[in-house]
Amino acid sequence: MVSVSLEDLKAKIHQLEQQLQEDQVLDPQKLQTQYLGKRGLFNTLSKAIKHVSPQDKRVAGQLLNAFKTSLQTRLQQLSDQHQSTPWVDLTAPGIQPPAGHLHPISQAIEEISRIFAKIGFTRVRYPEVDWDYYAFESLNMPPNHPARDEWETFFVEGPVNKQYGKIVLTPHTSNGQVREMERLKGKPPIRMINIARCYRRQQDVTHTQMFHQFEGLVVDKGINIQHLKGTLDYFAQEFYGPGTKSRIRPFHFQFTEPSFEVDFSCHICHGTGQIGQRRCAFCKSGWHEVGGAGMVHPNVLKAGGIDSNQYTGFAFGWGVERTYTLREGLNIDDIRLLYSGDVRFLEQF
Amino acid sequence: MNILIPHHWLLEQVKTQASPQKIQEYLSLCGPSVENIVKVGKESVYNIEITTNRVDSMSVRGVARELAVILPQFDIPAKLVKNTLSFSSLKPTTRELLPLPKIRNNAKLSRRIVCIILSNIKRTPTPQWMADRLTQVGMNIHDSAIDITNYVTHELGHPIHAFDYDKIMKMGGEIIVTKARKGEHFITLDGENYQAVGGEVVFKNPKGTIIDLPAIKGTMNSAVDDTTKNILLWMESIDAEKIRFASMTHTIRTVAAQLAEKNVDPHFMEPTLVRGVQLYRELCDAKIASELYDAFPGKKPAKTVGLDLNKIHTYLGIELPISKIVTILEKLQFRVKTLKNTLHVTPPTFRQDVTIPADFIEEIARVYGYHHLPSVVMPTRIPLTKPKNTHFAAEETIKHFLADLGWQEVYTYSMVSEVLAQQSGYSLQAHAKLANPLTDDKIYLRRSLTPSLLAVIENNPQKTAFSVFELANVYQPRPNTLPDEVLRLGLASTKPYRQVRGDVEALLKKFYLPPLTVKVDEVTQHGQLMVGKTAIGTIQVEKGRSTTAQLDFHQLLPIIKTHPSFQPLPKTASVIEKFTFTLPINTAVGPIIDDLQVLDRRIKSVVLTDIYQANHTFLVEYWDSRHNLANEDVRPIRRRIVTLVEKTYRAKHVGTVQ
Repeated sequence: MVSVSLEDLKAKIHQLEQQLQEDQVLDPQKLQTQYLGKRGLFNTLSKAIKHVSPQDKRVAGQLLNAFKTSLQTRLQQLSDQHQSTPWVDLTAPGIQPPAGHLHPISQAIEEISRIFAKIGFTRVRYPEVDWDYYAFESLNMPPNHPARDEWETFFVEGPVNKQYGKIVLTPHTSNGQVREMERLKGKPPIRMINIARCYRRQQDVTHTQMFHQFEGLVVDKGINIQHLKGTLDYFAQEFYGPGTKSRIRPFHFQFTEPSFEVDFSCHICHGTGQIGQRRCAFCKSGWHEVGGAGMVHPNVLKAGGIDSNQYTGFAFGWGVERTYTLREGLNIDDIRLLYSGDVRFLEQF
Repeated sequence: MNILIPHHWLLEQVKTQASPQKIQEYLSLCGPSVENIVKVGKESVYNIEITTNRVDSMSVRGVARELAVILPQFDIPAKLVKNTLSFSSLKPTTRELLPLPKIRNNAKLSRRIVCIILSNIKRTPTPQWMADRLTQVGMNIHDSAIDITNYVTHELGHPIHAFDYDKIMKMGGEIIVTKARKGEHFITLDGENYQAVGGEVVFKNPKGTIIDLPAIKGTMNSAVDDTTKNILLWMESIDAEKIRFASMTHTIRTVAAQLAEKNVDPHFMEPTLVRGVQLYRELCDAKIASELYDAFPGKKPAKTVGLDLNKIHTYLGIELPISKIVTILEKLQFRVKTLKNTLHVTPPTFRQDVTIPADFIEEIARVYGYHHLPSVVMPTRIPLTKPKNTHFAAEETIKHFLADLGWQEVYTYSMVSEVLAQQSGYSLQAHAKLANPLTDDKIYLRRSLTPSLLAVIENNPQKTAFSVFELANVYQPRPNTLPDEVLRLGLASTKPYRQVRGDVEALLKKFYLPPLTVKVDEVTQHGQLMVGKTAIGTIQVEKGRSTTAQLDFHQLLPIIKTHPSFQPLPKTASVIEKFTFTLPINTAVGPIIDDLQVLDRRIKSVVLTDIYQANHTFLVEYWDSRHNLANEDVRPIRRRIVTLVEKTYRAKHVGTVQ
């Protein structure tokens, strides 16, 4: 038998590589057998190693090994290319993971917090069960004042504190006003947003014994009514969409002076009350009443240790439920559903 | 308070061509809010909300006064009809004069009293025009002699009362203004029996019988009835706080009481009484049978307030011309004197609500129109001191993460029923209780979220697999101070214990906390959730097979992290092996894992992967930071693992150990 030189071996490997170039259009299954089968071209070639001189055997082995690896890779590639994807029914419905839901009030609170955070408001939290002093008296509402009738207040059983009075379930978030002034030791600037559970003795389709309010309070030198309007307009646009406007109308609260009622323009009829020739069914007048606001009463600043000759401020407080349910297309007509724990309701959010 | 004002009644007090729609729009923008316009027959009736400080607007005349100032601001002419109703017009119209009763006032209790006797009262049906108007404003119709008082009060804003003159005279001919003593009885004109609590202002006769509950409701023994022929037409001005006290105590919330408790201006008595007399003469053919009685010991001098112009500019953010400011104030019937930069302003008697500069600024600003002011977000300092003990971002993360894992967030009431309160594990006495609950199911402030959450699961029986959570306060009563409000994360699920615990573990991982351990209370079988040495909450399996947990947010707050501490990537490989042990029945697997984890420093983790009957399979990962572990390194550890579990826990290793 003629001995095989390394050059011969290289030439043969090259030859087979070229042959594969031409053969690659064939069935990959057949190619596998033809090249790498027991009696395939590679095995036939590798038998030549017997005839390689002993000093070249190691290099020849390496050459053959490398060639085998490249053949395997190439044939695998050809096989992959050739294989067709199995049929999948793309019209079959998806299988969803079990998704829970945030309660709509959480969603609203999150959004409200984010909107006010963007213009520098700090979110705070104060007691939901608080002294009459913070809920009323420090807000310029002495005991038995007729203005208190507006707040159908729950009281907690127990002794009356000489300084702070009875314990109440906060009927509004305004108890946070003097508490925030105290936290800052009477030193403005204040720019807070207080969002919390509130409680009133009332229950019907638009009232629940428990509800949520958000309260804004801004105090600094030179704060005026324009700033309140600016803040309201900003919120209206962010929450209800571009073009929504706010307006303030005279009202009365003991703890603000001047006091305002706040309306947002209806985002469906854009404040006109009309859609074409028809009356807007969503708002009836072009505007939605959302809550109260005003310039902080000097007595409230005083209660919080702030000099009303140097500082002025504004405050606003609205129901989260009311603000949220005004959204276009939401159509919640009974807010008691929010606290019913009924999953058929909750899973829609 | 709301008041109904028919359009045409209003036009008797203010002359204007404005349409009801314009009146609604402009009045609401600058004055009291017109909530809606109701059509009663052909008449438009305004439903107007009058704020508690503006009792002067609680009448047709009061709204007309506002309208006469506001409409011209929108270039719509409007003129208040001149008031010609003066006491000087009240002279006897009969020669048969009747003596006035003796009136013994207490100036501290009543600021003013006026009255006059009308004789020869003919009991005529209420005329159609008056009946229509009273119906439009939602009042009942009786006859002229009674309805006149309601009509003039609505028109001019001061309560007025008609006594049966003869009854008063028969009872002693004397009216004594005094305070009721506890236990004294009186019967109101509608036949209701009351017992005084003491301190109510009442009128008594010389015998000490209560003959009126003034400014709230008449009493039967002095009220007009079918036999009444002569009327004592009467007005008083009782201390507002005392009226409110009596009206609230006995829950008699008449229109008169609601006006009187808000300090209605005693100067309104003049037009109201004169108009009343006029109508009695016209409709009941009444004669004026006495001189007018008018005692006004509580007349208060008008107070003038200095108003710094700079202050106005501070509140408005713009400078209004002085002339504009003065015009507005004068239209509102304020008297104004200008001295340099200060206005000296005196409000009319009926505007007792205007006392401090901010009050005057409100008047100027609202009439000028809030809609004329620019809208600007404040360019002032942003505060940087954040409150302690809150982490709203973490609260949001918790909620989102649990929802993503399939948990449904719920909001349940903070107040619970007696039954739910008892399910908390605390006695009823250990709960804060409402003094005035509205409904039986909301009486106690809850100590635990669990009963509320289990109730939600129970109330949704159609959901076979259901997991709910709530982040809310529980309330722990403390002596002589506010209850402690503790923010809790409550979880309740129909899922098995290990899945719920796994969800809690995943949640804690989200905050980069070390692994959770559970300490079991042998008696209650409740688990205490521990992170290191911090107890963060509890977990338990309920009787209904639900699993519940409560995490205390304030325990978590100091330990949660916003980011991990990075560990260098391992340079050596770990070895993972499976062990299966047959454990005796009811063997707790937690301690086994704890023991194995500390058995050798090279044991990196021990994970329970499978339970099949008594067989428990653990995956143990060995790792050494210095070198790759060889079989001879692992072999001794492996043997110690098997020995430990078999000896300590009387288990049997499945398979052989090499």
